[in-house]
Amino acid sequence: MMRSPWPAFYLDGKTAVRHTATLRLMREGLEISTGNGWTCRWLYREIRQTQGFYPGEVVRLERGGVHPEVLVVSAVEFLTSLRKAAPDLGRRFHDPTRRATRRRLTVLAGAGVIAASLGIYLWGIPILAALAATFVPVSWEERVGQSALSQFAPPGRHCSDPQLRAAVNEVLETLTAPAPRSPYALRVSVVNTPLVNAIAVPGGHIVVFRGLLERTRSPEELAGVLAHELQHVLRRHATRAMLQGASMGLLLATISGDATGPLAYGLGAARALGDLSYSRQAEGEADADGMKMLLEAQVDPAGMIDFFEVLAKEEGARPAGFKYLSSHPMADDRLARLKNVASGQRGTPVKLLPGTDWSRLSKLC
Amino acid sequence: MTPPEPLDEDRTLDSSIFRRPPETTNAESGPADTGRSRRPRFHGDAGTLFGIHVVNVLLTLVTLGVYYVWAKTRVRHYVFGQTAMEGDRFAYHGAGTELLLGTLKAALVFGLPVLGLNLVRDVFEVPDPVKAAAGVLAGALVFVFLPVALVGGRRYRLSRTSWRGIRFSFRGHVRDLIKIFMRGGLLTTVTLGFYTPFFQVNRQAFLVTHSYFGSRRLEFTGRGQDLFSPFMVAVLLTLPTLGLGWVWYVAHKRRYFWDHTRFDTARFGCSVTGKALLALWAINLLALVGTLGLAWPWVRVRNIRFAFSNLTLIGPLDLGRIQQQAQHASPFGEGLSGFFDSGFDLA
Repeated sequence: MMRSPWPAFYLDGKTAVRHTATLRLMREGLEISTGNGWTCRWLYREIRQTQGFYPGEVVRLERGGVHPEVLVVSAVEFLTSLRKAAPDLGRRFHDPTRRATRRRLTVLAGAGVIAASLGIYLWGIPILAALAATFVPVSWEERVGQSALSQFAPPGRHCSDPQLRAAVNEVLETLTAPAPRSPYALRVSVVNTPLVNAIAVPGGHIVVFRGLLERTRSPEELAGVLAHELQHVLRRHATRAMLQGASMGLLLATISGDATGPLAYGLGAARALGDLSYSRQAEGEADADGMKMLLEAQVDPAGMIDFFEVLAKEEGARPAGFKYLSSHPMADDRLARLKNVASGQRGTPVKLLPGTDWSRLSKLC
Repeated sequence: MTPPEPLDEDRTLDSSIFRRPPETTNAESGPADTGRSRRPRFHGDAGTLFGIHVVNVLLTLVTLGVYYVWAKTRVRHYVFGQTAMEGDRFAYHGAGTELLLGTLKAALVFGLPVLGLNLVRDVFEVPDPVKAAAGVLAGALVFVFLPVALVGGRRYRLSRTSWRGIRFSFRGHVRDLIKIFMRGGLLTTVTLGFYTPFFQVNRQAFLVTHSYFGSRRLEFTGRGQDLFSPFMVAVLLTLPTLGLGWVWYVAHKRRYFWDHTRFDTARFGCSVTGKALLALWAINLLALVGTLGLAWPWVRVRNIRFAFSNLTLIGPLDLGRIQQQAQHASPFGEGLSGFFDSGFDLA
């Protein structure tokens, strides 16, 4: 069963010298001759293929243990003949006609990657982060919170007016009274900074900036803000965000193969976008559950809605492109959802801080 | 199905190789080979690499990361198999299974202790002195294992790389690199950073001069003082060029390192320029950021082609004298270097 010889190179595994050779496919094995009378035969079952699986690669066959002898054939058609010559062992050798199938499977794998990444991103990471957050001790959150607090709200800038503090604490107690006991020591500080904002630092400390307090027109509006921020604390959004960020980094590193060098920058951008979306989800949760908190505490939900409407108007002045990149959900959406939750209200709300002049109180900082 | 029994004739022919090796007269690249300049060539394409990568990503996601070691190995198989010198392909002989074992061992010896110490430092409720001690210990572990990873990773990769059937090897000792690191770290601090080029050259000399192809060692003749003035220029130009001047320093360093690397009677030559390097990196960065990392296979191929188009091996080579002299290398070092994010490119 002689066939036409194939040109090849032979390497003996001992020196770096390359020998030109010709190969013949015999019944039991490959016959190798180097032209000067030296011949040798490799049994088909001793041969393993180590290169030649992809377009542009040469076919590389090896025989032997640690430092094998090597045959290199550049014609890929050789594989087809080799498979024919050794039909029982055909599986040991790559079949070039299957490359088209492999390409189709690769496209399928690509679709699988997209589906798996989306699944992990949309469900896997948020669920895992929520689960893992329950294992993070509160004392750790408190420590992280303390160091954040010293940046946002240095001790010297806290408003210490006793009337204001009493009023704010009363609003806080009204909100938390019906809720089950939480592991957090919840506190609110007003900080003398013109920012129109409020922050929940991990560990139970909420910071309301003077700018925001002065904008509120009633204690109910402040209650709305506090309820929202309290939910960030209770639902451990900061810890979850950290865990989500880390998992996103892992996912992106997997997708992009190697996270070194300039790739790290590209990944950083992708991760920031992903984090923003998680942060929008967290805001949505804090809105809905904050509103539920108001309802349970018998606080008029109109305060929260009114105040968010004022903020939404200010946000409306920003160009549309920025809103997508904002960490807060689209204002209209947000209001609609708040109103939807508020519609579940039963009974008459109890007025907060009756008999106080809020417009005076809110300027005491 | 049982495989067919070998013929007697086969056995005789099999053993013939030991009695009668091929004559060198029939061999190529004998001593007559003089003074030519050779360039490595990359035959692969980014599309195929992307296909390999896609399947790798899917399997890595599905196996929750375990497949990563096979993914790494498959990419290396492809990249090495498509790289040719003198018309002969390189080959990569690493296996995913051994790398998995190496990685597990590294996780046990290094990853878990460091994780535990970091948890003690940042999360657990323990007295402050304990936290401080845990932090110091974690830092010490990293400091000791970084050179171990560098040497072990290089030892593993070179031992799994061959050309013309002859394995590469790395035979440097970790303690020597630790010495270089300690001296370099100390002197760099004391001299406010001006020792850096000397440190870089010492490190490169260690990595090159302990690298072997078969029985033949690579040589390195670079000296730190030669890089000192380019380094000073880069320092002075940092502000006026907003840091971009450093690209020219990197290009200069790369040229200098290759130009002072010799193999046998031949020497390497490198022609990379700062401008070309800057263009390469800028486009790579744009491609990666624009595709959120998906362009990684194209970037990898671009880097390889760029490096090869700038690299030559000049002078006579007597390959007949080079004998197989492979060295044992455990996959532990490679597993360890996975924890240090040390990207490994042919380039």
